[in-house]
Amino acid sequence: MSSAATGPGYIGMVSSIGAADVLTLYEGAKFYSPAVGDASKASLTSWLTGLLDRNGPVALRRADALPPETPCISLCVLGSGAALADLPPAGDEFALAVQRIERLQRVTFGAIYPLAAATVSALAPVAAASQLGLPLLDADGMGRTFALIHHTAMHLAGVSPTPLVAYGATGESVLIDAQSASRGTRLLGANVDPLGGWAALAAYPTTAGVLRRAALPGTVSRLVNVGRLLLERTDPDRLVARLAAIIGCHRVGRGRIVEFEQLSRPTDRTIPAHPSSLVIEESGERGRQLRIELRSEIVAVFADGLLVAGVPDVLCLLDVSRGEIATLDSLEVGDLVDVLVTPADGLWYSAEGLAMVGLASHGINLDHPRRR
Amino acid sequence: MSGQPGDSAYAGVTLRPGRCVAAVIRDATVVPLPRVLHGAIRPAGADEVLGAIAAAAPGDIQAVTIDLSRLLLEAVLHPAGTGRVAVIRIVPRAAMDPRLARSPAELVERLVARRFTVGGGHDLLGNELCPLDTAELARVCAHLRRAGVRGVAIVAPGSQAQPEHERAVADAVQAALPDAHISAATDFGGQGLVAREATVILDCALGAIANRLLNVWEDAIRRSGTGAALRVARGDGGYSTPSRARALPALTLGAADALELCGAAYLHGAQECRVVLPRPGGHVSGDVRHGLAVVRAAELAGIGTALVVPTAVLAPDPGVSQNGEPRWVRDVPVVHASGDPDALACVGAAVSQPTAWIDEVAFIESAEHLERIRREAEERVSAIVMANGAAPGTAYLTEASIVAVPYSPAGTVRIRVRVAGAADGGLRRAHGGVPAEPVAP
Repeated sequence: MSSAATGPGYIGMVSSIGAADVLTLYEGAKFYSPAVGDASKASLTSWLTGLLDRNGPVALRRADALPPETPCISLCVLGSGAALADLPPAGDEFALAVQRIERLQRVTFGAIYPLAAATVSALAPVAAASQLGLPLLDADGMGRTFALIHHTAMHLAGVSPTPLVAYGATGESVLIDAQSASRGTRLLGANVDPLGGWAALAAYPTTAGVLRRAALPGTVSRLVNVGRLLLERTDPDRLVARLAAIIGCHRVGRGRIVEFEQLSRPTDRTIPAHPSSLVIEESGERGRQLRIELRSEIVAVFADGLLVAGVPDVLCLLDVSRGEIATLDSLEVGDLVDVLVTPADGLWYSAEGLAMVGLASHGINLDHPRRR
Repeated sequence: MSGQPGDSAYAGVTLRPGRCVAAVIRDATVVPLPRVLHGAIRPAGADEVLGAIAAAAPGDIQAVTIDLSRLLLEAVLHPAGTGRVAVIRIVPRAAMDPRLARSPAELVERLVARRFTVGGGHDLLGNELCPLDTAELARVCAHLRRAGVRGVAIVAPGSQAQPEHERAVADAVQAALPDAHISAATDFGGQGLVAREATVILDCALGAIANRLLNVWEDAIRRSGTGAALRVARGDGGYSTPSRARALPALTLGAADALELCGAAYLHGAQECRVVLPRPGGHVSGDVRHGLAVVRAAELAGIGTALVVPTAVLAPDPGVSQNGEPRWVRDVPVVHASGDPDALACVGAAVSQPTAWIDEVAFIESAEHLERIRREAEERVSAIVMANGAAPGTAYLTEASIVAVPYSPAGTVRIRVRVAGAADGGLRRAHGGVPAEPVAP
């Protein structure tokens, strides 16, 4: 096992990611963003496993374990997981995006870090770190996935996402150097579809010293620890109890999906995907109607009309019949699911965090349950 | 279980290497047959099986549904009898990493004789990403002609929405190799290039053996003089016609699991239930809704990668708690299947219905547009179920899910529709479970 459950640092810290950890990482990453289905799972995990087999494990380092002047760059998959599954990477997009910023800034990066340590965006930085022979930082900018690339801890800390490069599977790339983070996001959004619906994004070039205060620490190790529990395919009751112990997860309710609604709230074009909803009839004596509001991720959960959870909480559905996390593009009427809620990193419940990624950003103007 | 007036007899047959198992359902009752009949994949064996079926229900056999899936899976696991396949992947840029250039499933890759990349492809909504590289296509065709290739699998991104590049390549290959078996991913739809590629590779490799088997059984049915219709079980637990199965043999993969679930549910008179199946490595469970197996386009057991052919969703069964209650799923009856799995699959095949599904990505701009897209999808899948053997006017919607595609442009939706029907004079379900929502004609 290339990862250590205990060792120097703190309990749960992982010191490296090897081929044997790939499926664990994948499962944990799906918990923190269940948006992307498993259509590309086999090929992406095979690719990453092959890289780690050939090149050896990728070292996972805390930002404060590197010299503060070490140049670092973040990576993620920008755009749609469905598009990524249909147009798989050639394999060099992430490394080429990093190298293009290196040439522009005349630096040599000393570490990679995930822009969002969740879903396929948690795997891509490991692949690029392996290809480039660099360590991976055990930190990221979101601790989950938000809709826009400036919804990051780095942005709140004043780090610019630009210059950034989006490199497509078409072999084409876009370099953006914008006056503000929101302008960068907007310019980038216009280029994702022509690149095939997804792109390898390299952004937030900075230093390890800055990331000590500007990134969320321990978020890659956390994926491995959560992934281990999920892979045990244990009784959902026991799974939730174990997740509660390590990340504070709890279950809102269990029930069967009875309805989907599309365009269920007003749509603005600044955020990908349109608002949609699903309705769950809760099993058992409580028998509540659970209404789940979606916009790429689950953004709110209502029980009999009362808001019980919402972004920035990490919200996901556990498919009870299969004992695994249900991905949002593969849900079907009749599925039996547990609605799980996990607190996000504390930064997101601050006034500035909620202003950027809270319920109001999705047009739901209600106080967050954790702030009532 | 009481019969329905006017019910006739229907047979299900599961083929395995060197043997087969058959069951007859007459008046909603299982008629015992000899458990194992030998040599059922040769003409004499098929005659023997059909003779036993006819003897069990003299003069009444309306249809025989055969399950090829275990034989075809065996052919994949031990590929001496399958043809090797040339794969043409149409993408804007060839994979730079060896793992991304091949199937992640070793079993699938063993069926591949040679791989080619031709520039081209579209995005999920059908916008061209790169023009088709016709010069490279001509070189590939010349190579295939020299090599005398017999099977060619073709896949391109976005071909579900815009099949133009796949069809151009298929046309060029057919012109170069008039006798080749060509499988194109656009014929299957579904999500993910790797899953679609694995599906067409299997489809192409299994074409010859599926054709041989169907010839044997069509001839045997003709010789039997029973006048029974021959049907072929699909991976989703429904059935199709021999001509559809011959054209798209991958649609039959995985049928045995779905049939086993349906057979067990039928014998327990349950339309909505969870079925626990014994397996050598421990019990697994799957769900039955409206009398049909719950299916998904996922990894088929034993293959090692996802396919776009929906098959039964089976998960390790967690057993019961200390007080004897099912551990995970408690809101539907739990049926514990017992006996020979092949015999259960035969029952499931005998009571199966014609089915069809589609799995597509579409773009909607308004609620009215969404409704139109949904109606058009239902009409398309209704036409497919009739091609699979449903009588006109019998198609009904069993599942329809429309979900927003995360992190895609607003309005992008994934549409999955599943429809079932009934054949003329078809067997009535044990408890009349035909849902009441007909598909618009």
